Amino acid sequence: MNRIAPIMAAFLMIAWAACAQELDPSILAQPPTANWPTFNGDYSGRRYSPLDQINQNNVGSLSLAWAFQGRTPSLETMPIVVDGIMYLTAANQMWAIDARTGRQIWHYQRPGGVGGGNKGAAMWKDRLFMTTPDDALVSLDARTGKLLWQIQIDDPALKAFGGMAPLVVKDHLIVGTSGDTADLPGFLLSVDPMTGRIEWRWDVMPKPDDPAWKTWPHNTDVVTRGGGMTWLTGTYDPELNLLYWGTGNPHPVENGETRVGANLYTCSIVALNPDTGKLVWYFQSSPHDTHDWDMVMTPVLFDGTVDGKPRKMVAQAGKNGLFFVLDRTDGKALVSEAFVPANWESGFAKNGEPIPRADKEPQPDGVLVTGGVGTNWQAPSFDPETGLFYVNSRESMGVFYLTMPGVHAEGWAGRDFFLSSKSMMKAIDYRTGKIQWVRDDPGRGGASGILSTGGHLLFTQDGSQNLIALDASTGKTLWHMYPGGSMNTGPITYQLDGRQYVVFPVDSVVYAFALPAR
Amino acid sequence: MIAVALLVAIAVIRAQEGASPAGGYGPGGRGPSPAQAAAQAAAAKRGETIFKQNCAACHGEDLTGGRGPDLIRSRLVRHDKGGDSIGPVVTQGRPDKGMPAFPFSPEQISDLVAYIDSELTLFDLHTRVPGGYPNDIPAERLATGSAEAGKEFFFGAAGCSKCHSPTGDLAGIAKKYDAPDLEQRFLYPTGVPDTATVTPPDGKQFNGTLLLNDGFNVAIRGDDGWYHSWPAKDVKVEVHDPLAAHEALLQKYTDKEMHDVFTYLETLQ
Repeated sequence: MNRIAPIMAAFLMIAWAACAQELDPSILAQPPTANWPTFNGDYSGRRYSPLDQINQNNVGSLSLAWAFQGRTPSLETMPIVVDGIMYLTAANQMWAIDARTGRQIWHYQRPGGVGGGNKGAAMWKDRLFMTTPDDALVSLDARTGKLLWQIQIDDPALKAFGGMAPLVVKDHLIVGTSGDTADLPGFLLSVDPMTGRIEWRWDVMPKPDDPAWKTWPHNTDVVTRGGGMTWLTGTYDPELNLLYWGTGNPHPVENGETRVGANLYTCSIVALNPDTGKLVWYFQSSPHDTHDWDMVMTPVLFDGTVDGKPRKMVAQAGKNGLFFVLDRTDGKALVSEAFVPANWESGFAKNGEPIPRADKEPQPDGVLVTGGVGTNWQAPSFDPETGLFYVNSRESMGVFYLTMPGVHAEGWAGRDFFLSSKSMMKAIDYRTGKIQWVRDDPGRGGASGILSTGGHLLFTQDGSQNLIALDASTGKTLWHMYPGGSMNTGPITYQLDGRQYVVFPVDSVVYAFALPAR
Repeated sequence: MIAVALLVAIAVIRAQEGASPAGGYGPGGRGPSPAQAAAQAAAAKRGETIFKQNCAACHGEDLTGGRGPDLIRSRLVRHDKGGDSIGPVVTQGRPDKGMPAFPFSPEQISDLVAYIDSELTLFDLHTRVPGGYPNDIPAERLATGSAEAGKEFFFGAAGCSKCHSPTGDLAGIAKKYDAPDLEQRFLYPTGVPDTATVTPPDGKQFNGTLLLNDGFNVAIRGDDGWYHSWPAKDVKVEVHDPLAAHEALLQKYTDKEMHDVFTYLETLQ
């Protein structure tokens, strides 16, 4: 080694240290190890970390490293971790805590209540972002938690609300919106993270010059009214420069007669150009939904082989109980398969989209429906080593009533009551859509998110509220611990100072587990 | 209790966009006093009369519009604070859009706004808060089947009569529960826990209500009134699901059979 090298290295260290706690968006394209810098860990939505310090041989000795008391209604936040600092959110609140110790660095609280939940923060350079119950987007200084700017996303007087974690794509901040009380049209915004300026808006409801316009009737203004909420974080492929997003159900929610047709682009996976907001392709995973089956669940990106051909794919396990694998370059379906029993569809069309049964639309005297709420927003995971797609699923039976018939219907327009349901974790072979194994869950609740790791482990919570670690190949339980509450979000992992942490937000407490400190 | 269990079950299943902001903004929120609530209800009642006589013809009996705009989705209405937006539109009209002026007094405007507010609240509850709305589906709407076919099914293929009797436990059942509640109860009653027989290594059996059986531990409320728990690996557990017959039938019902059974049970007044 020459004499210059150590000096150069020292310079580089100083330069690195100067901006160490900022987030360079290019790391979002890498599988997460030292950081968990975005809602799903990286752009792909696989929620897979290559970390393997905690593995099948030692997971049984996991111990509590620290706990953080949020003292707030149940957390829905997916923590993000950037250079040793963890950022947590709740409605109108954000915390920065030390990811080594769990000690609070700062706490931000804005006016408004603390009910309503928040799914997590996004970070770009030295700035943080979150959405709020009154459907605003706020930007904070990551050093101090001080407010930098805030913009309104949609109108809370019309019952629009926020809660989703924004997605940073290069130098854009992609933000969606929620609301299913009054009829409201959904959309995505691209926002300049420096200024809060809106760069583009993509509307879920088509315009008259769009072929999708024909998938709505035009004897009423129903096409302008909406649905198609964008209330969960999407994914991004940097090579194809495509943004993938799932859209929610059409409105009125349970009245189909007022909106005869497929109702694009609701209940769809859409691929957008993140620089322009232009639609590149779509796949409608639940045409003409009448059961509130938002198809916002994470579009998970991975590469593999189907029928002997290498493919770039996107997969989704949906609220409607169906699993899809698409070619993510063009949206063509490769696999369409039910992962729970479903009676609301009569099979799949040639393009891989399900065919809804008219006689299972909500009726004034009720219909029995299975398949629905097959899963919910709590994240699935894809492990590239096993090639399995993991989802916490639910088999349930519901009765659906149409309470507001006719073309004047709006809002919910129906009622649904779920009767019996059983939760089970399922591992799906992406090549075929067939279930590889099922972890039968004696509990009747529970639908937490899942994390897979290079330690050949899955982490999640079961229906009896046990935190569990499973063998990723077989589903065998290798570790369990009852944390005294429910995990409404998913676990994350990161490694600091040579120690791997697995973090579970449970009710208002965040638990960090690691191998015993030496 | 059962209603609460149902609400919890539905809330868990539907926990989609997170807890709704309509669920409350946390501590500190105070509702109106009983006297204020009564005054508001009286004002809304007076406002309803004004609305039906003057407004409903164009804005619809249910406020969803007709010749005039839908008021449920109206930004102007949704942003109104105590009549500050609605009042001027009503008293001055919108001649350019065909809406006449109504020379209402400030008290009448206040009553009208109280009525519109109450309708919006009802609409929003109806749509957003699972179980938070009144169970107002009338029995006639659900009783579209054949009582005779329902009775035959009850005593025959469904096997209901093995456990239930229209003159015994089900006598007068239709009077006890409103329609959607009755339907859910016969399809799949809520709040009925499993029971279990637990046999520890010494062979002395325990019977009781099953509280936990997660593969790691077993817990029961014993028939002796005491709580008992064991590591799952140390005991043999036999679980009895009192709803097993309901569960099996639930997977087999056609919609017609469901309507027939409801129509039959509805005759048990």
